[in-house]
Amino acid sequence: MKKISRRDLLRLALGGGILAGGAVAYKQTESVGLAKWARWMLRGQMARVTPATRVALAAAPSYDADLASAVRAIWRDANGPDLQNATVVIKPNLVDFVPGRPCYTMPQVTKALIHFLRAEMRVKKIIVGEGMTFRRDPHAILFETGYRDMLAQADVEYVDLNYDDLVKIPLRGGYAKMDSLFMARTVAEADALISVPKLKTHHWTKISASVKNLFGIVPGAKYGFPKNTLHMRGIDAFLAELLDSLPTPKRFALVDGIVGLQGDGPLFGTAVPSGVLVGGSDFLAVDATCARLMGMEPAAIEILTFMAWAGLGQIDSNKIELRGAALDALRQNFELAPPL
Amino acid sequence: MIEFLQRAQNADGGWGYKLGGMSFVEPTAAVLLALSSDAQNAAAVQRARGALRQWQRADGGWGIARSDTESGWMTAWAVWALAASDADAAQRGAQWLLENSGIRVTDTAQAQSARTILKINAAITGWAWQPGDAAWVFPTALTLLALTAMQTRDHARVQEGILYLLDRAIPDSGWNIGNPFMVTSNLPPTVENTALALIALRRLNVENEITQRARDWLAQESFTPTAFEWAWRAWYWKTITAPLERARAALQTLQRADGSLDGNPLTTALALMGTRAP
Repeated sequence: MKKISRRDLLRLALGGGILAGGAVAYKQTESVGLAKWARWMLRGQMARVTPATRVALAAAPSYDADLASAVRAIWRDANGPDLQNATVVIKPNLVDFVPGRPCYTMPQVTKALIHFLRAEMRVKKIIVGEGMTFRRDPHAILFETGYRDMLAQADVEYVDLNYDDLVKIPLRGGYAKMDSLFMARTVAEADALISVPKLKTHHWTKISASVKNLFGIVPGAKYGFPKNTLHMRGIDAFLAELLDSLPTPKRFALVDGIVGLQGDGPLFGTAVPSGVLVGGSDFLAVDATCARLMGMEPAAIEILTFMAWAGLGQIDSNKIELRGAALDALRQNFELAPPL
Repeated sequence: MIEFLQRAQNADGGWGYKLGGMSFVEPTAAVLLALSSDAQNAAAVQRARGALRQWQRADGGWGIARSDTESGWMTAWAVWALAASDADAAQRGAQWLLENSGIRVTDTAQAQSARTILKINAAITGWAWQPGDAAWVFPTALTLLALTAMQTRDHARVQEGILYLLDRAIPDSGWNIGNPFMVTSNLPPTVENTALALIALRRLNVENEITQRARDWLAQESFTPTAFEWAWRAWYWKTITAPLERARAALQTLQRADGSLDGNPLTTALALMGTRAP
């Protein structure tokens, strides 16, 4: 029997190593395919060398404060997009109304944003839209939350995104293994989408802010109440898909953290008077900043790390240029949502 | 209301959720049910039936609209609306409903987790909004109504659907969208889920403490005065031949100048079904 030489042994070891590496790569990427996996990974790596993104903070001790000035300062400090002559959809978080639970975006914040967009941005049209999660009828929640009166006074159209005319948009990422998604025509055809979430803890995603708020733009008529079929595709994966495939050319996030919700979010938590508004165009950077405001480390929040890895935004503090009020002065440790 | 519904019919024979909005299966079927008892609506009814037949998918089910290539929960609406007039189409739809269900949890650890976090028996399932999803109260109750219209009330799936609704009832009263409890708190009942579950259980002759508590809750005055909620309540009260004066008065107050409720053909059809004389 021929004796195996040292060189052959090295060749065998090298071949085995290559095979083992290939097997690991195959295993890691088999659910989405190597090409897509590599594209996300490369985009994530590219994000490390792009300039820092801006996020702005404004102190706002109560809903009676001068929120219009706060919104103006945030837009300026965060380099908000020029929306002159744009059709803009404002998407507040009106997930539900639970007496005594601050689980929704307060109308005063949305009202201040409407005022700013009209008076200073000179937008063409403003639509407030939401696809509520649990109730099929928006009117009760609009009434209970004060939105009905606010919208009537501001003379702004409300569109129920659960029952709007639908278009099918292609999904670019491949994260949730869906080729396309039904979406409200109002959102798909708008020039800009402004996500106006509530600063909250969440039992699935740890935090709920500008990215999680996007769940409300997909139609309940198709995906049901509470759109569980999309949750079952993996919340992180589906939200990554949604963020990556948003058809609106311009976007901005303005987070209502004047009174946040801690503990059993997204509905039954308790109030935290955080006294802050947060804004920016990079939804991930905004949410990472929100996490820091809530006393959480973004690197420990899976939905943020996954999307950052895939290059959908920044969460590294070195890549987020904070402007406006000091984060350290506004930080409050939120009680986490109980794990499921 | 009838004039509004006639005006709101789209050229394709269907109705949307708003005047001029694209046609969906749900409002089309609901308006068809609301209009079909009156001979003066014969032309509109015929066009609507034709639209539903045209939108039926090869697997027997219906998507949410013509452009939807996947059958789902609105199949129940279409089956119910066509049960009396289009036996073949309705039968194929009923078969699709019987062959599809919400997820059934068989893993012991997952079932225990569902028992703790949601307070449900996850081994019992009903119907989902979409294939591959968990079961929920609204599609389950709606499917029970559709299958009852197809005379399949003794089917094992119907009997399990009844068990599902009873298991998902909130201990205090009524139904939320699915689970009665979430992590730390009972969920509040909602009008549409409670009313539809009660209507379905009534048609299946199920009366017990759960339905009684829900019925009492639904009779309370302390609701937000919305047309959608009043329409559902009226429909349930009509099912049990309870007095309709309160609902009629409330809906009359909320009715718009164009005769609609909220400008929405679905809500208007529900109100019409709930308030017109038997």
